[in-house]
Amino acid sequence: MPPGESDAQSQHGASSVRYEGATKRYPGAAEPAVDELTLEIPAGEICVLVGPSGCGKTTAMRMVNRTVEISSGDVLIGGSSVREREPAQLRREIGYVIQQIGLFPHRTITENIGAVPQLLGWKKDRIRERSAELLELIGLDPELGDRYPAQLSGGQQQRVGVARALAADPLVMLMDEPFGAIDPINRERLQNEFLRLQAEIRKTVLFVTHDIDEAIKMGDRIAVMREGGRVEQYATPAELLMAPANEFVEDFVGADRALKRLALMRVGDIDLWEAPLAYVGQPTAEVRTKLAAPDVEVPYPLLVDGERRPLGWLSERDLAQAVVPQRPDSPLGPVLEPDDVMRDALADLLQGQSQYAPVVDGAGRIAGVLSVEIISEFLGSPEAKSDEQPAVERPHE
Amino acid sequence: MSSPFLLAAGEVGGDFFRERDVGDLCQAQRGHVFCWDWAQENIDRFGTPTVQHLQIVVPAILIGFVVAFALALLSHRTRWLQPPLLAATGVLYTIPSIAFFFLLLPLTGLGRDTAIIVLAAYTLQIIYRNTILGLNNVPAAVKDAARGMGLTPRQILWKVELPLAIPEIIAGLRVAVVSTIAIATLAVLISAGGLGTEMYGSNLTFPTSIIIAAAIVMLMALAFDAILLLVQRFTTPWRRVAQS
Repeated sequence: MPPGESDAQSQHGASSVRYEGATKRYPGAAEPAVDELTLEIPAGEICVLVGPSGCGKTTAMRMVNRTVEISSGDVLIGGSSVREREPAQLRREIGYVIQQIGLFPHRTITENIGAVPQLLGWKKDRIRERSAELLELIGLDPELGDRYPAQLSGGQQQRVGVARALAADPLVMLMDEPFGAIDPINRERLQNEFLRLQAEIRKTVLFVTHDIDEAIKMGDRIAVMREGGRVEQYATPAELLMAPANEFVEDFVGADRALKRLALMRVGDIDLWEAPLAYVGQPTAEVRTKLAAPDVEVPYPLLVDGERRPLGWLSERDLAQAVVPQRPDSPLGPVLEPDDVMRDALADLLQGQSQYAPVVDGAGRIAGVLSVEIISEFLGSPEAKSDEQPAVERPHE
Repeated sequence: MSSPFLLAAGEVGGDFFRERDVGDLCQAQRGHVFCWDWAQENIDRFGTPTVQHLQIVVPAILIGFVVAFALALLSHRTRWLQPPLLAATGVLYTIPSIAFFFLLLPLTGLGRDTAIIVLAAYTLQIIYRNTILGLNNVPAAVKDAARGMGLTPRQILWKVELPLAIPEIIAGLRVAVVSTIAIATLAVLISAGGLGTEMYGSNLTFPTSIIIAAAIVMLMALAFDAILLLVQRFTTPWRRVAQS
């Protein structure tokens, strides 16, 4: 189903969420768990609440659906106070995903996904349709609908958890470390799937994690919190990495934040190099002439076919022959695409022990060459290094 | 036969032993364990005691279940009630059954009602404890998810917690049923009838009727157990797939 026709598009949209001096005091605790939190999350964005354990991020998130009662202050969804709503009714309009998933073990997958629609009194046919549609949306075989949660893998269960939260088209989604209990490979996959899903459904998402890498990957905005739910910085991931507001944020983001910026970039975002191209059967003299040009960026000729699809790199030995051979001496190594995340591209380069990797377009045609040098130049550029300037300005450093 | 205890019981309860006329049937087999001829001739006499036995056991279990279940629901919300209720039902469970029967006589008199009360009281401990256990075993994450999705506390109890507690509740019922059916053989001591009538006062050199009555008691227990097991299978289909 093309995205435009999907029923997921028929959602009644998303609402902004605004914290207004929201405070949570637990009886007997000396300090409030969340102290006067004020924060605005625009509709349709993913806002990640990140911070060390005990910083109040989960408490803050739970104020939105009143699974934690607000002591003072308020939380507004689309301008209206959650405190004036009947809690159970309010929660049915808010998607809720938790780390331990919490699927109902005694209900089938279809019944689990249909839980909130059932509470809202939807007709049976409509619930079944919606469940099937969501199974498809999260990429699960519709036949799994009749299974019980125990028959699914952890990753599949958490996909169902997300589907269940989306079932009644919530205005807001709360996600509390949703991928925290999933193994790293599946976590990455689930993160990517959710981002793809979010690009389609555009919900307002409050996403809690303690993992800064996950925050950078998932967030449109990130609120870095410390004890008492105090927001130390609220910014886009790029801003956070380039200009941490203070030492706490800097420490939390980590010393490798320049490297982390690579996670925010794609190969296509950077100016690529051009390699001298060589074709099978071409006289090597021509290739040598190209190589000798003063402005050559990549010192190795790339062998391509008639469609300009890369085949391999030519070595000195290949060039010693009269014409370009059909089989180049050096293997092609990693091949990248413009959509690849820069950090993964660098990993591929290091893994392949190669300096250069061809970047190809959708049809497999050469679009440029990425080199380790380009990346290191980027990391050394003022743009990436600007994070070092505030450090100089701080008096105690 | 002439033990002071049984005499005393006999005086209170009147004719609670039924005569067994061995006659000539098993003269040759006297001293043997089982007399087939007598069994064939006298099988009819077990019908009424079996029905009486059921009339004691079924109400006792139903009452015990309803009371224990209500106590469990009450103390599910009000957690601090759990230790005192466990203690109270536990004390009831430790009263020796014969003492329990006779202690109730001045209050409720001879007959079936007293037997039902005693047996129901005995089931409380095991059914209450298992229901509480089942409710407490529901994973916190499932309850958290249910609450966060907008189920009311009542919906969480009836749609999530109780269905998930079924295996423990039925496990408790199975133990309660088997022991109730066995203890109900003592109901004869307070003139409540039941299969005990065919066991007490037997001629110890002629145990045939004891064996038949005991076999019926055991079959009854097995049948109830099988029914409960079937109920569990049908009400908890998710457990089968999880185990496979």
